[in-house]
Amino acid sequence: MQPKFNIDRPKVSDDEINKHKDFDNLVKQFKEQSITKARSDKSWWKNNYIKYAAVIAGVTVICTVTYTALFNKSTKQIASNDKTTTLKDQENKNTAKNTKFINEPFEKIKVNNTSYKVDNSKGADIKHSTGSKIKIPKSSFVNKAGEEIKGEVEILYREIHDQAEIIASGIPMRYDSAGTEFTFESAGMFEITGSQNGEPVFIKHDKPLTVEFSSTQTEDHFNQYVLDTVARNWTYIKRDNPVVSPQQQPPNPAEAKQELKKLAQKYEPAIAAIPKRIDSVKVVYTKKIEKLEIPLQPNKPNKSSGRPQFELDVDYKEFPELSAFKNAVFEIGSESTNYKAEMKDITWSSAEIEEGPTKGKNYILVLKLKQRVEKLVVYPVLTGNDFADASKKYEEKFEKYKTLQVKRVADEAKLKAEMEAKQAVYVVQQQKIQEEYIRQKIRLQKQEELSVTTQIKAGGVVPAITRVFRISNFGIFNSDCPHTMPSSAEEIQPIFVSTGAKEEILASAIYLIETNRNMVYTYAAASKMKIDTKIQYSMCILVGSNVYVVRKDEFARAVLKKDNYFNVTRLGSEITDVYELKKAMGLI
Amino acid sequence: MSYNSRYHHTDVQLQEEHLIIEAAKADPNHFAPLYDKYYKQIFGYLYQRMDDKDTAFDLTSQVFLKALTNIGKYEFKGVPFASWLYRIAHSELMQLFREQKNKRCINADIGDLRFICEETQEFYLEDYIPLLKKVISELDPEDCQMVELRFFERRAFKEIGEIMYITENNAKVRMYRILEKLKKAITSPKKN
Repeated sequence: MQPKFNIDRPKVSDDEINKHKDFDNLVKQFKEQSITKARSDKSWWKNNYIKYAAVIAGVTVICTVTYTALFNKSTKQIASNDKTTTLKDQENKNTAKNTKFINEPFEKIKVNNTSYKVDNSKGADIKHSTGSKIKIPKSSFVNKAGEEIKGEVEILYREIHDQAEIIASGIPMRYDSAGTEFTFESAGMFEITGSQNGEPVFIKHDKPLTVEFSSTQTEDHFNQYVLDTVARNWTYIKRDNPVVSPQQQPPNPAEAKQELKKLAQKYEPAIAAIPKRIDSVKVVYTKKIEKLEIPLQPNKPNKSSGRPQFELDVDYKEFPELSAFKNAVFEIGSESTNYKAEMKDITWSSAEIEEGPTKGKNYILVLKLKQRVEKLVVYPVLTGNDFADASKKYEEKFEKYKTLQVKRVADEAKLKAEMEAKQAVYVVQQQKIQEEYIRQKIRLQKQEELSVTTQIKAGGVVPAITRVFRISNFGIFNSDCPHTMPSSAEEIQPIFVSTGAKEEILASAIYLIETNRNMVYTYAAASKMKIDTKIQYSMCILVGSNVYVVRKDEFARAVLKKDNYFNVTRLGSEITDVYELKKAMGLI
Repeated sequence: MSYNSRYHHTDVQLQEEHLIIEAAKADPNHFAPLYDKYYKQIFGYLYQRMDDKDTAFDLTSQVFLKALTNIGKYEFKGVPFASWLYRIAHSELMQLFREQKNKRCINADIGDLRFICEETQEFYLEDYIPLLKKVISELDPEDCQMVELRFFERRAFKEIGEIMYITENNAKVRMYRILEKLKKAITSPKKN
């Protein structure tokens, strides 16, 4: 029998639940039950039980007094928390159900993952660009059936260190601990996932991974938490005990320069090699095209026009095109103006033909007798049946010629296309390498700039703080400290005004940033927010896909003026990564 | 309804709770803070699985009476007292459903079903509701319990593991398999 399935059944109100709570009746039932049992069973131990129950009953009054003194406070607290939580939980859940839990607010600005490939049979010690280490024992990963993964596993890893990254990641910083809501101050977070061929993999319970997270926060008041995206809350893991490594050196700008040099050594020869490859492709294919057979066009036999002719013995090996003119005679061309009729009657000592002005069509007949040399342009012509036979053969040969010619043109076109395709691949390759080179250079420059800024902020020394996580499941982890607003906090409801246009702006999301602590409070549109006037804040505001900021000076001015009007500055479309966002927000 | 936020405890809270339990072992009146703290959660857990509100209230009283009767046997294992109460509640429920099968009922909100669609990486469609209802109803009782704990009550895997007497990791793997079943049912409805 299948169970009944209700959708959106009305909730039972807290009042109704509380009406059914009756602790006195519970104790009464308990006592009655104990006594009834004792009466119905006269065995030795049951009798003792009665005694026990009687003793309990007897001391109830005393205990009640003790209980009131000792626990009333905590009961009240719990009960009062209960009430607050109940309503809040309900509200939160209603809101949460309609919103994505991890909500990346920006279209372009993302905290990107780095992909690492790990051979499960070998394990790996991964060093991330921030200095963090991921230690993966061999055979750590299993599939959904609990079987050991064979081959490579893809690990995606990203770190979130500061306020800009917290905002861009969309990871919620609110923490509900037993009904009390906190906001996290972060010493850093990371997200780690694993997959093979698109299928998620799992960490074997007895082979946890170790993440030695390189933190920029030096304090030691943080706890470790893991984010439960379904329960929509962080789960406490343990107290975080950071490891300070004095032997680690602060980031060295010279290292970045060294790396730039390495980059140049890696990319520049690769970029320079590509035009040469493109040229060599051209050379190879030009040769291939040249090697294609050029079909010989047959000569169309000419019919005698009646002009003077010479009969000659021709070496067909020397003039293969004349083989079609079997029994041909050579007719004097009209261009041979030096021809005289007497030439036909002279017995010449030598008569030779050479290629004529129109190759394959006409020839030069060179006649010699002693010192006399005559050159005449002649045309091979045929007469009678010879012409008819030759014409027929010509037609056949011409057909073959046409076929060969078409094939030749096609072969050449094919080779050219192949050549162009190969060249195009190299061009794309060149573009990709160039782009990657530029990207890497920018990354290094930013890294260098960031390390210098961090050093300046830290008084020239960046301590190396490692926070060690042992993880048996993939997910999002943090080393954070929950805080609540002090009771002296002031409530404000900000009105945002664009600096230039003097127009009121309706924010869709508001991020309140503590500039001296790694904390971000997230508020929905038109929310009231609490601020501690002793603390410096700035704000990041979303209006659709546009990003605005309220810089800390402006924030301080508006708070001092107490008029709730905050001037916002719109960030341009050039802000496409977190680094630019940090700069724009004045965090670096 | 979401009750899970009350589940997570800091070390200090656990120690405080342990003190109350020890006091309650000596005197049932000291059980009051635990009763106040967990009454709504246990009622919610029971009512989530049945249609009859009065039976749920009766059963809640029964659970706390059993807890108080057996508190002498309770051993503190570093987890919230709630996990022990849930196990009693689960046992009482099973007893009831064995005797009266028609009492078993599944309750979900539309948002919960939408959430399952999100988790299975499928777009939410109104058409999926009857399918999901059918498939969830046909799951074996333990799998159905997993879905209820995880998606309808939004509990953490750690808590699910403690309620169901399995490891957190095992809970995750089992949930992954159930989600695959649900996904398959949504994407190829004709086979189901």
